[in-house]
Amino acid sequence: MLIEIKDIYKIYNEGKESEVRALNGVSLSIGRGEFVAIIGASGSGKSTLMNILGCLDIPTYGDYSLDGQDVTDRTDRQLAHIRNKEIGFIFQGYNLIPALTAYENVELPLIYQGVSILKRRDIVMEALEKVGMADRWKHKPAEMSGGQQQRVAIARAIATHPPIIMADEPTGALDSKTGKHVLEILHELNDEGATIILITHDNSIAATAKRIVRISDGCIVADGSREEVGL
Amino acid sequence: MNIGQSLKMATKSIFSNVGRSILTMLGVIIGLAAVIILVSYAQGQNIAMQAYYDSMGTNTINVSAYTWRSGTDITQMLYDYCLGLDGVAGVTPNGQVNVTISYESKTLSNNDWNTMTTVYLGSDQYGKCNDFTIAKGRELSYLDCKRLNKVCVLGSATADELFSFADPIGKTITLNGTPFLVVGVYQSKAAGLNTGTGDDGQWIKDEIKRKDRMVLIPYTMTRYFNNNESISDYVVRAKTKDDIKDVMANLRSYLSTIISQDSGWSDVSAPSDWQDSQNEATAMQQRFLGGIAAISLLVGGIGIMNIMLVTVTERTREIGIRKAIGAERRSIIIQFLIEAAMICGIGGIFGIIVGYIGTLIVCKLSFGAIMFPSVGITFGAAAISIILGIIFGMYPAIKASGLQPVVALRAE
Repeated sequence: MLIEIKDIYKIYNEGKESEVRALNGVSLSIGRGEFVAIIGASGSGKSTLMNILGCLDIPTYGDYSLDGQDVTDRTDRQLAHIRNKEIGFIFQGYNLIPALTAYENVELPLIYQGVSILKRRDIVMEALEKVGMADRWKHKPAEMSGGQQQRVAIARAIATHPPIIMADEPTGALDSKTGKHVLEILHELNDEGATIILITHDNSIAATAKRIVRISDGCIVADGSREEVGL
Repeated sequence: MNIGQSLKMATKSIFSNVGRSILTMLGVIIGLAAVIILVSYAQGQNIAMQAYYDSMGTNTINVSAYTWRSGTDITQMLYDYCLGLDGVAGVTPNGQVNVTISYESKTLSNNDWNTMTTVYLGSDQYGKCNDFTIAKGRELSYLDCKRLNKVCVLGSATADELFSFADPIGKTITLNGTPFLVVGVYQSKAAGLNTGTGDDGQWIKDEIKRKDRMVLIPYTMTRYFNNNESISDYVVRAKTKDDIKDVMANLRSYLSTIISQDSGWSDVSAPSDWQDSQNEATAMQQRFLGGIAAISLLVGGIGIMNIMLVTVTERTREIGIRKAIGAERRSIIIQFLIEAAMICGIGGIFGIIVGYIGTLIVCKLSFGAIMFPSVGITFGAAAISIILGIIFGMYPAIKASGLQPVVALRAE
């Protein structure tokens, strides 16, 4: 299994009156090359789950192994390397750095990986071409539409060719046509072998996934194909 | 990520947010320029004051001695005693007479304080004691005093006024109608003195110039002009500053042996005492200016801190993004360190430039002469403002890079 979590808890203000259990004992396995949609209402804990899967956050309790490696008690530095090499992130709010151009934003993960400047140029342009943004490489995020920004964000996520791509509501801020285009790119990447984990509250988008995980109140309530989950 | 990359990243960040960079620099520039200007001003004032003290003659001791017992020639006794003392460079009576000075048809007016010419009674060592140097001719001689020769030495301003550009040596001027032969002219004290044209500098220069309006005649002439009143004021010059104390002590004990308490009085004092208290006042003023400078540096630092805090949420989010895509904490801190150091370094350079230009203007206005602060002060102040900038510039990085990426990303 590529991703394997066991009895993951994420508890805020533990032991206090205001205690919140965002994840309440979640276990999940995801294999290489899968396209998994995690669905649930807002506040159900699906974003928390993705943050933990993506090593953006650490669970309060539980075990997490990524590609056979235990990542539960990794140092900050090791987690940074995992995020850099293993995972590509696509966020609802794009999360591009406003001061940098499209090119420079896509270049960032490669810089942190230590790729030389000459190699970077080809990789960045290739990634931008893949999302159809090569002609906008000089533009800053403010000079682009939402869909264009999200495509640049996808280019950034795939620039390092990570085995896993995590997308948190990637179409949430886009109109349906642009959203569909973004979804197509994700499927293309999946066809090329990438493991895709897609967080969404939109059933029609989730329905395009081979496997759907429904989460509610911090627990997985259904896991399986579209028919099995009942979409 | 290596340093080269961090450097490029920092440069990119500075130039991609010019407004913020300039605002941050402004804090450094203002703080640093203020320190440089204030310190230079204080130093300039100090140098101008020192020039004034020097013009009064250094290492001088003022002696007053008088006795009404006849037959005691204090002037001669003091003269002989002083020349026998080790630490003494010269001794002269320091009397004045109020007389009308004329040359041919020209008479010097004594109505205006600023252009008044003073006639001094002195010995052959008058110039030595009062820091005058002969420009032309010769000093008074010992025999001029002994023999009551009617000769005089002119101050440069008085010589110019009476003779314009003609050579005064060998000419005869009259004092209250009595002819005196000009045997020498002193060099100007004001010439070449660098106190500038500003208010303070001008005042000091005028004070010094006044000293060039003088005529020196043998002290024995007091018999002609002062109804035979004997001289009671003397100037003794010590060889070095360290000799002053010993010479003063010797003079006091000597005077007490030749003048008994019921037959006269004597007093020995040094203007250096007064100069010390003046220096104390100047030092206090400098401390005050230094305090103001420190405050402006602090205000500059707070300015830097403010702009950094204002951008902290924006930067927190940026740091969150960087962490999410794989930046280590170390590379983020290094990037921000370089960024802050570059901004503050550039600000520091501009601050020094602005400070020096300001110094040029301020010193030109008040002293004329330009006194730049020492290299130590310049770089000390620059170092402080740059360190302040770096500390506050790194603050968001240190704070945000320790957060979980998801927390940093949540910053709005």
